[in-house]
Amino acid sequence: MLHVADLVVARGVRRVLDGVSLVVQRGERVAVHGPSGCGKTTLLHAIAGLVHINAGSIRLDHDDITHTRPHRRGVGLVFQDDQLFAHLDVADNVSYALRVRGAPQRERVTVAEEWLERVGLSGFQHRHTASLSGGEAKRVALARTLAGGPNIVLLDEPLSGLDDELHDQLLGDLRGLFEQLGTTVVHVTHDRAEGAALCHRSIEFATLSEKVIPRQT
Amino acid sequence: MSRIAINEPVWHPAPARIALVVVSLWLGVFLVAPVLTMVGGFVQPADVSRVLARASTWRLVWFSLWQSALSVAVTLVVAAPVTWLIGLHRFRGRRLLRAATTVGFLLPSVVVATAFLAVLPRSLHYTMFAVVIAHVYFNIAVVVRVVGARLELLDAQLVNAARTLGASPITVWRTIVWPLIRGATAAAAAVIFLYCFTSFAVIRVLGGPRRSTMESDIALRAFGIGDISAATVLAVVQLIIVVGVIGLVRRLSGQEHQLYRLNTLPPTAVAHRQRLFAIGVATASTLFVLLPIAALLWRSVQVGDTLSLAAWRTIFDTSLAASIRASVRTALLAGVLGVTLAVLTTLAVVRLGAIGRLIDMFSIVALAVSPVTLGLGLVLTFDVGWFDWRAKWWFVAIAHTLVAFPLAVRVLVPAWRTIPIGLHQAAAVLGAGELRRLVDIDLRRMRPAIVASLGLVIAVSLGEFGAASLMSRSGGETMPVVIARLLSRTGDLVRAQAFVLASLLVVVCLAALMLVESALGRSDHVARR
Repeated sequence: MLHVADLVVARGVRRVLDGVSLVVQRGERVAVHGPSGCGKTTLLHAIAGLVHINAGSIRLDHDDITHTRPHRRGVGLVFQDDQLFAHLDVADNVSYALRVRGAPQRERVTVAEEWLERVGLSGFQHRHTASLSGGEAKRVALARTLAGGPNIVLLDEPLSGLDDELHDQLLGDLRGLFEQLGTTVVHVTHDRAEGAALCHRSIEFATLSEKVIPRQT
Repeated sequence: MSRIAINEPVWHPAPARIALVVVSLWLGVFLVAPVLTMVGGFVQPADVSRVLARASTWRLVWFSLWQSALSVAVTLVVAAPVTWLIGLHRFRGRRLLRAATTVGFLLPSVVVATAFLAVLPRSLHYTMFAVVIAHVYFNIAVVVRVVGARLELLDAQLVNAARTLGASPITVWRTIVWPLIRGATAAAAAVIFLYCFTSFAVIRVLGGPRRSTMESDIALRAFGIGDISAATVLAVVQLIIVVGVIGLVRRLSGQEHQLYRLNTLPPTAVAHRQRLFAIGVATASTLFVLLPIAALLWRSVQVGDTLSLAAWRTIFDTSLAASIRASVRTALLAGVLGVTLAVLTTLAVVRLGAIGRLIDMFSIVALAVSPVTLGLGLVLTFDVGWFDWRAKWWFVAIAHTLVAFPLAVRVLVPAWRTIPIGLHQAAAVLGAGELRRLVDIDLRRMRPAIVASLGLVIAVSLGEFGAASLMSRSGGETMPVVIARLLSRTGDLVRAQAFVLASLLVVVCLAALMLVESALGRSDHVARR
């Protein structure tokens, strides 16, 4: 279970997150909506440990991870613009989390093949990331995150910039994958239909702040 | 907005062809012919075997190689923290810190060597420590500019992605950052190696009588001992090594472009827990750059143990004044000629497709001919009848033109390529011919970059030591030559005079380079419009 309580993140004198609270049960998928610039991405980065937290706490299952370094949190993040490592091929991208844990080469190859198959990219192991289409890159980014076996997956508008057909196809694939794995997900998006299709419940970002009355849909 | 591409059909290349002819003639007469004259006229097969059979030759090559390698290693270590700070972070004073780290590179080598004489205790004068630390001082800027520029392109989110996948900061560095900056680091190391390998002024001033690089030995053999053939053989060996290193740099730079997917995200703020370290790095780097300059100024008002302006007073009524006049007129002429040559070269490079690329490559190869080799070639070539120009003051300016124009071309070509093709198309349909478009659009928009390249050529000319030390004649010696001569003599006043001249060069060169920076800033502004 993810438990975010009274989270404050400031940049200079401006509070980007001001007393944000959020609870996500294990295996639950929650969509967070809100207008651009409201702090959705900052919330994900705070949960992942990528920004300095000024106040509040974050607990994952029974551990307080508020000040845990990002690489020790077990939190996976799929970036809006994928952030694939251009100097590694597809298989090395997917198995990167295993590599940093010191997994042997054979295991890394097997895991990469397995995950690429799951996201529908069998045979892509040795492709260069620059040669991937937008949809393929998104699938590789997702496989890379899931292959690391995170306790929770954060999605930062992972389907933005795709055409309608590809968007719907990937959305279906994501839902199937998460249901099969029972993954706990926080999905940030400005597309309400996308949130409703993928997640168990949706929350307006504004309602996460203590300053406004909660209104869950 | 669309940008100019080489060989766009809108061009009628007549002006570019004329530029190509002028540039080819200039380089042919003053660069290629002297090198060929040296090799063809002064080297016999017997000389080659005589020089290469000497153990002293290989000791010289070995010393040049290992002192360069050591300087590269120390520079990379010293420059790493400030490169990390500037390349990856956004903070107040970042531009100022970057400018401060660049100062050393932009100062004349003889000035830097003199500054280290001023700042180091006497026990460290004429030691390898002095040589290496001066080389580090010069080349920190290369690491900051080359590797730092690559780090700036590194998307912080890429690092974040690796962190969320379980990579510790060290693992992120090893698996993500290093592979992406490896090429840039190797390119920077090769450039530093090149500068240190052909080091002349630093070795002459700080190395002491027992240390000699190939460059300083070429000068010694040619003009000290009179063994021109041995000097020429050494110059050719050095040229081969330098061309090899330049080839390596080009190859590594090429790899970098293939490797990178550029992004435009700005660097991130310094993390809370790294602030103290960052402040320490910024302070230490600034002090490292400024202390030698401050010591130089301080020593210029010290005669013996007493504070005195005696040395400053002598600049108006001795040979020092003559050297200042010689430097100024040489730099101005070199500026005008060098920029003209650079503009013509750039025109040929951006307009003539494959031939242009060839000229571009040749302008880089011109850098391989060291100033001492160039000076030697010019002196040996132009010594007959009407063409006996050795005693002419403007002959030094010709050499400086050749030393500086490749750098000016590197400033002009990227600026020229940012000129939108649409402007040309608009002017063309409004009836402007090729020459009119060249004047009204290209040269007009290029004005800031041309001013920047003028400042660069003037700064290079003011500080150039290798060619000037071979070509300047008594009474017309430039300031760096006089500084080295004064430092080789004994007496408190003459040393203080050397520090005075070096201080003046610092001021003038920094003024020229501020002009460059501000003009380049305007050039960027014009490019964005």
